[in-house]
Amino acid sequence: MTAPAHGLPNSLPRPPGELQQLESVWEPPKGWRILSAVNNTWIGLFYVGAALLFLVLGGILALMMRLQLAVPENDLIDFDLYNQLFTMHGSVMMFLFAVPVVEAIGILLLPAMLGARDLPFPRLSAYAFWAYFVGGLVFFATIFFDVAPDGGWFMYPPLTSFEFSPGLRSDFWLLGIGFIEISAIAGAIEIVVGILRTRPPGMTLDKMPVYVWAMLIVGGMIIFGFPPVILATALLELERAFHWPFFIAEQGGDPVLWQHLFWLFGHPDVYIIFLPAAGLVSMIVPTMAQIPLVGYRWVVLAIVATGFISFALWVHHMFATGMPHLTTSFFSAASMAVAIPAGIQVFAWIATLRRGRVQLATPTWFILGFFGIFVLGGLTGVMLAVAPYDWQVHDTYFVVAHLHYVLIGGMVFPVFAGIYYWAPFVSGRPLSERMGKWACGLMFGGFNLAFFPMHISGLLGMPRRVWTYSDTLGWDIWNLLSTIGAFVLAAGFFIALLDLLLHLRPAGKVNVNPWNAGTLEWLPLDNYGVRSIPRITSREPLWDTPSLREEVDRGQHYLPNTVTGHRETIVTSPIDARPEYLLKLPGPSWLPVLAGVGTAAFFLFLTVKMFVASALGGIVALVSIFKWLWKSEPAPTAKLYHIGEGIELPDHASGSKSHSWWAMVVLMLVDGSIFASLVFAYFYLWTITQGWPPAPFDIPSLSWTVGCALLWSLSSLLFAIAKVLLRKAASRAAICGVIVSAILCVIAAFATNMHTFTTANVQPAEHAYGAVIYALLAWQGLHGVLLALMGSYTIARLIAGLLDDRRRNTFDNTRLMWHYSVAQGVVALAVLQVPRLFS
Amino acid sequence: MSEQHVQSVLHSAPGSGAELLEELGMVLYVGAALIFVVVMGLLLHAVFSRRLRASARAWVIGGGIVFPAVTLFVLLTYSLAVGSAVSALNSGTALQLLLNCFGIDSNARIPPPLPGTLRINVVGKQWWWEVRYRAADGELRNVPLANELRIPVDEPVELMVSSGDVIHSFWVPSLAGKVDMIPGRTNRLVVRTSEPGIYRGQCAEYCGGQHALMALYVVAEPRERFYDWLRNQAQPARAPTDPFLRSGYDAFMQGRCPECHTVRGTPAEGTSGPDLTHIGGRHSLAAGVLKNHIGTMAGWIAGSQDVKPGNLMPDSEIHTGSQLRALAAWLESLE
Amino acid sequence: MSVTARIAIGWLYLVLCGCMAPEGYEPHVPEGDPRQGREVLAELECGVCHVIPGVPGARGRVGPALADYKRNVYIAGRYPNDPDILTRFVRDAPSMSPDTAMPAIEMSEAQARDIAAYLYSL
Repeated sequence: MTAPAHGLPNSLPRPPGELQQLESVWEPPKGWRILSAVNNTWIGLFYVGAALLFLVLGGILALMMRLQLAVPENDLIDFDLYNQLFTMHGSVMMFLFAVPVVEAIGILLLPAMLGARDLPFPRLSAYAFWAYFVGGLVFFATIFFDVAPDGGWFMYPPLTSFEFSPGLRSDFWLLGIGFIEISAIAGAIEIVVGILRTRPPGMTLDKMPVYVWAMLIVGGMIIFGFPPVILATALLELERAFHWPFFIAEQGGDPVLWQHLFWLFGHPDVYIIFLPAAGLVSMIVPTMAQIPLVGYRWVVLAIVATGFISFALWVHHMFATGMPHLTTSFFSAASMAVAIPAGIQVFAWIATLRRGRVQLATPTWFILGFFGIFVLGGLTGVMLAVAPYDWQVHDTYFVVAHLHYVLIGGMVFPVFAGIYYWAPFVSGRPLSERMGKWACGLMFGGFNLAFFPMHISGLLGMPRRVWTYSDTLGWDIWNLLSTIGAFVLAAGFFIALLDLLLHLRPAGKVNVNPWNAGTLEWLPLDNYGVRSIPRITSREPLWDTPSLREEVDRGQHYLPNTVTGHRETIVTSPIDARPEYLLKLPGPSWLPVLAGVGTAAFFLFLTVKMFVASALGGIVALVSIFKWLWKSEPAPTAKLYHIGEGIELPDHASGSKSHSWWAMVVLMLVDGSIFASLVFAYFYLWTITQGWPPAPFDIPSLSWTVGCALLWSLSSLLFAIAKVLLRKAASRAAICGVIVSAILCVIAAFATNMHTFTTANVQPAEHAYGAVIYALLAWQGLHGVLLALMGSYTIARLIAGLLDDRRRNTFDNTRLMWHYSVAQGVVALAVLQVPRLFS
Repeated sequence: MSEQHVQSVLHSAPGSGAELLEELGMVLYVGAALIFVVVMGLLLHAVFSRRLRASARAWVIGGGIVFPAVTLFVLLTYSLAVGSAVSALNSGTALQLLLNCFGIDSNARIPPPLPGTLRINVVGKQWWWEVRYRAADGELRNVPLANELRIPVDEPVELMVSSGDVIHSFWVPSLAGKVDMIPGRTNRLVVRTSEPGIYRGQCAEYCGGQHALMALYVVAEPRERFYDWLRNQAQPARAPTDPFLRSGYDAFMQGRCPECHTVRGTPAEGTSGPDLTHIGGRHSLAAGVLKNHIGTMAGWIAGSQDVKPGNLMPDSEIHTGSQLRALAAWLESLE
Repeated sequence: MSVTARIAIGWLYLVLCGCMAPEGYEPHVPEGDPRQGREVLAELECGVCHVIPGVPGARGRVGPALADYKRNVYIAGRYPNDPDILTRFVRDAPSMSPDTAMPAIEMSEAQARDIAAYLYSL
């Protein structure tokens, strides 16, 4: 046998029993208990499967619409069902397929691509999945009971408000989609913290695969992009339930406010869907060409730039709302500018294909299909960015064609390329090449036959969202072609999915690299991930170190065993990936399933106004979450564990070194973005109203405001004192006492807050001014409740002896949230005083 | 009867803003097709040939940055010029040009009328269009009609569009781009054509159940005829001339019709439905859904929920067969 | 084409003819063109009040459904279902049946014939 290579972290031979121990710790649950699995390889598979299920369901809705539009004046489907169909099709495809599938693929691939045994929060992923899956299924089922939303997937009020949409339809959308967004954010936290903290030693930022870069940026975009729509859905639900007139013009609101908030999410969302797919392309293209990606740095830069620019484009969805020219010109320019990073990526891929010798397997064909469709979609996208041209084609079938070109071309084709490319990674053997090529051909041909004619029907004056059309308008032939194409496309999907059903059998142990790829997910894998966590020195480690696969599998790299006797992985520093500590990971558990189902039940029962059932769901969710948190910070041992190369790591970290601190910070960014969106709404309403606050309402009393701010600050101060006491190892009773008084102070501050806001002399249902300030109050109240819960939980851990100066992540997280909430409350109070500067 | 034009971006009326946009569109289609062919050519060559050289600088910077940046800059400049030209169709003076730079304007402030310009207010409602003329001379104020606009040719006409309920969008593709009709706001759109004819338009923003059946016609006429028509529209309805029409009039007044409809010169003063004072002269019924003749009129009155389910007009079930005919005949006589 | 396919197509043709074959009395409209008639029906939007098979959007329920019209025994419940009478009724129902809701709709004699021809072809 070969002698142990020099300079590898661990030496051979490995001690007997080491591998068996690793295997037994990571043993997945058997039979149907697999549903209690929490590690990301399993959750990732469930997640991808569920997303594909929703793709099929959403596709069936589309086929029904195409049947109705096949001929003019068709009687097949009436307007009422048709309006539900297109609303559900859009909502299902965007919220239940597109965003979940890109997160799902991330959760499935990232641990392996990072050589980590798992991402840091397996139970959070499981929770996000179950909430999404159960909630999504119930949401979809509304179509069978004639209560599906019918306001279009962007739900413009006033059409979707209480006056024009009485009944439950819109509520299902608002609450259903609302919590699916929450599940998306949970996924994003996992992905971002996972990428930043569980990379293998040596994988510095500039050695990350492009896909990982894309997911990091996308995680960031979800964190900042989803809050506006979460806020918007909350405001519209408040308007529907309690008649708070945020969007009602007669009462000082503005329907355009919804459009700003929605597209402030909606446009980044397009790139949240596209960038991961582009990342997949950047992985597949170099492998198929057997050459590293040309212009890696440029491509990464392009991804980062897209992430930023995508937040400056939202207004191009609103060019027809009557914007001043200056505004449209700015957003027109910004919308065109986003073509540049797209161009960088396209040319980098073409250059890579030029340099290499391309292997023409199914993934390559899907990638070529992607190019053909996406480039055309990009070009029509530039047309839409031209504001005057957009005045013509906006809200027509031209736009329907464009958005399907960019979404199906830009996302679905790369995802199917990815399915064919990574299937061996899941099951150890490839899917059928023959079925794959048929699927690809039918999808490409069917897609173009379905959607190219829509450009023409749009230019011939066909608006989107029409359930019927007259035979005198010249749209017949184009619609018939579209319908035929849609069924061909569906046949392609059918073959690909059949191939998956027939040939994909998830295997615990996988040791293949069929395309001779260069990245870590093609290392030999088992339930525990890689046998040992590789030391990384280049971007394509499998190409640059041909022996790496054997070295890793023999256990010659880091952590070839379980040193703590638990599931564990290495946490590294965010920039240069130096090993910092060992993270003990949780094993299978039903708690995330319960919590997910409970969350879904809470929202859905709330929608149908079954309050008792809803409360039960909420309690189940809360109890499950607290139960899982209770064990989430195991007692640190004083020991240091050797992982190889003489590196010894502790099994615990606190403060900003801890992964939980990072997750909390990310969560606060989400929280802050929601709050910022609300403040935006306040100032926006101000700009469209003459006189602010509008007569006869007042600015809240200054003296009460100051008093209230002082009380909030006092509670922060008390918590700061608690921290000092904890550091000085003061008695538990003393710390508890201080935290209790901080909680009491929060209660007093909030009570004062309520009184302060009443001095504005406006009721929330009276005017948009009242609505927006009471929304600020409600948001602060929610934080008050949160602080009380977190404070009590901290006290409980203190009393139970689960919290001390070292083992203090719970305390730190509560402290972060405490100071954040207080700062937010004070800012809200200050915002309401700003009009004084102008009076 | 004048020629009916296709509702199409590709069939713009001469002298209209849409003509400029059609031209802009042509530039875009040709440019996009060229770029598409070149990129696909490069791609296929790259895939199907053996290893070639490809410097990152030339490809990524040249193809990915310099080329799009230059193209887009040219395009942006050109499109801004077209945008201003579209809004400045009626520019005569520098002041007007300045106003027209903000031609499609909003912010809940109604801009002052352009001097000497015919102004028409159009209000979108579920699912029809309320149209009010406010001509410059005092005598012709406040002429309401529905689902149809008439405009003089060769003259810029200022449309002030807003909404009475949910968001709609005013779009007559052969004349101009669309502009949304938003509750609480008033948007301005200037239209002009030099060719007489009938132009079809359709609501372009999803507005609920029968969004698909919310169309309208714009009739462009020579100036003289237009002003004759407008003067006629300002007149109250003619009294019924024979017993049959009289019985139709009675059926209208005794039924629930006046609760919602106005017929000027009669006690009917309802406002939630279209003004019917001159309905006989319009080109369509039910917002562009039906042609306007006695048969469709009777059918619409008796079965409006079949034609356009969910619209606010209840099926009339109180009339006998001959009453229905008389009612339709009376309404058709109101030209 | 194989022999079986030919036989199948021939058989299908016969069956279809059989389905469409009138039973007994078949009214005939001299000089009426059913294809033209269908277009006139669409052009005049008779479908506002009648369900008329083959005419797009004809789903009105104000008047009777006109499917299988040739088998009606009476027109408007009072006249024999005869081509000339139907042609007259289509053009000017009120003159024949003063209580009818169906107005006299402007059309030419030839158009009325075409309509009648189409209705009998249903």
